Amino acid sequence: MSERTTESGIPTHALYRPGDLDGRGYDERLGDPGSFPFTRGARASHGQRGWIQRELSGEGDARRSNEQFRYLLSHGQTGLDVIGDTPTMGWLDADHPFARYAIGTQGVSLCHIGDWRALYEGIDLAGLTLSHSLPAPFAVAALYSIARERGISPAVLRGSVIQSPYYNEDCGYAVHMPFRLRVRMAADSVAFAAQEMPKFHALVEDTYYISEGGLDGVEEMALGFVELRGITRELLARGVDIDSFAPRIAILVNCRMDFFEEVAKVRATRRLYARMMRDEFGAKDPRSWAVNITAHTSGLSLTAQQPANNIIRGTSQALAMACAGVHALEVSTFDEAFRTPSSEAHLVGLRTQQVVQLESRATGVADPLGGSYYVEALTDEMERRIEEMLLRIEALGDPGHLADTGYFRRIFDETTERYARAIADGSLPKVGVNVHTIPEEQDTLLRDVAERKIEPMRERIEHLAQHRRERDAVAADGAIARLDAVARDERENLIPAMAAALEAGITLGEIAGVLRQAYGSPADPFGGAAAAGVGR
Amino acid sequence: MRPLRILITIMGLDQHEVGAVAVARLLRDAGMEVIYTGRFNLPERVARTAIDEDVDVVGLSCHSWEYLYYVEELLGLLDEPGAPIPVVVGGSVVTPRDAAALKERGIAAAFGPTATPAEIVATISALGARKARA
Repeated sequence: MSERTTESGIPTHALYRPGDLDGRGYDERLGDPGSFPFTRGARASHGQRGWIQRELSGEGDARRSNEQFRYLLSHGQTGLDVIGDTPTMGWLDADHPFARYAIGTQGVSLCHIGDWRALYEGIDLAGLTLSHSLPAPFAVAALYSIARERGISPAVLRGSVIQSPYYNEDCGYAVHMPFRLRVRMAADSVAFAAQEMPKFHALVEDTYYISEGGLDGVEEMALGFVELRGITRELLARGVDIDSFAPRIAILVNCRMDFFEEVAKVRATRRLYARMMRDEFGAKDPRSWAVNITAHTSGLSLTAQQPANNIIRGTSQALAMACAGVHALEVSTFDEAFRTPSSEAHLVGLRTQQVVQLESRATGVADPLGGSYYVEALTDEMERRIEEMLLRIEALGDPGHLADTGYFRRIFDETTERYARAIADGSLPKVGVNVHTIPEEQDTLLRDVAERKIEPMRERIEHLAQHRRERDAVAADGAIARLDAVARDERENLIPAMAAALEAGITLGEIAGVLRQAYGSPADPFGGAAAAGVGR
Repeated sequence: MRPLRILITIMGLDQHEVGAVAVARLLRDAGMEVIYTGRFNLPERVARTAIDEDVDVVGLSCHSWEYLYYVEELLGLLDEPGAPIPVVVGGSVVTPRDAAALKERGIAAAFGPTATPAEIVATISALGARKARA
């Protein structure tokens, strides 16, 4: 290597000195936590409060996931973070021919309102923050319904749901819906939540999952801002007031292994966001300028070789994010390279956070790295590069066209290959993989845990058939007709009709079918493939 | 002699395509003909394509556990009397223990995350040549 760089390729000097910073003063560049431009933190009080500690969870059916939640809460977790299984993420019911071996293996299988009731049975809906990696309108509509059923005002619900309309087709969560529908669903859920669930973050820009293929920190945030700004413009074009939803926007970032770069990225993102909201989108409420940033430590950075090393990686990453002042954190579990987290690994992830928070004492002070010549210079450079890339992409024109013609797909594919090459040629050192390796037969520590599997929960197929038999067919037909009418009229918001459909027993897959057809797509995206299989 | 014909596929809802594409390119660069099915396939379709296209080896890219079930179904469908088409699996979720178990059930080779390009090309070449002669 000719020169040293950060993980995203920013050249670094051996030493940073006062001359590495430009002439901007403290208030312009940094400001105190809670003050514009929020480089040092979104809230004045954050340093003392700590962050919401949670581990991504959900496996099998709702009942099993509920037990998992209770286990994590009983060990000191302070919020919930639920992810759907692959069929649920793709808006497919468990009895779809493509779902059979993926039911509940990589998240929880949620198909109808009864599943949601079971998921949160006995869970304090009003007191806990509930985060969701799930189809956003589904999560918003279902939460709204079950809260009301339990006599809880949706207005008190706290938590979040990820939005990914621009990139989900290309990043492993294909929903087989047209771009226009995906953007509408994002905007509808945000607009609905702004009215009915004002404490809920219905717009979490999830840059974590889009970057898990191998984007670097600059690319991650640039693509994230492109999507976030696109959804914001969609809402503004509808006449939704920026200050009605911007205070509840959050960004879920990735944290790789370059400690200072990841800290700088979070700080640069806060500053870029503040300027954008105030100066470009005209937000007046200071809360609209301060973005909540949460983080998930990189699963891609973990290795199948010597899985115990992943605990060390998680610790370093958790410390970085604690220093960056994130509002919530998930540590990817040490068995991530093999499987959906085991309960043992979940506990280690949670303990990692607790040790960092309580024992390291690194987090008693807000923005402890603020003022470091290196971190400040890197924050400036990250901000410059992120903004440059996002403006370059926006200058290419209609994002729907870019998505449909594979522009984003190419970025994801090329960066994934770049990452694989960097591991293969050793330019990205990975202990246990391309340096300091050991023979496979000696690589036994923690492997038994890592290799234990979750069986697909195929009994869900019969469960779902029973659910369909037992629901009120007349009410179901009425709800479908209503949803169809709403789907065909973009002046209407989809969420109330979706909530009504769920309450009438309509499943996620059925809702998806109605939406796809309203937008000119086949109800079952795999119709051809599945039929070909059955016909043999 | 015609070049070896290899089918590369991904099954079920597994959406990680990069490994499959990289292996397809690797085999093509090594002089083989590669038919790539793209994502979202079920075993029946893969088997029919493999037979119709007269391929010498089927390579299954595996980045979700679904492959463990699909590969068994696929083996059953490809087990033509006389000349079964060898099935090779490879990907991040293929552990040594699963690889050993699947070899007992009839897969021809398994590549975990640490397999080298040379290893993959050599193994598939040998399997394909054996099938082509059969």
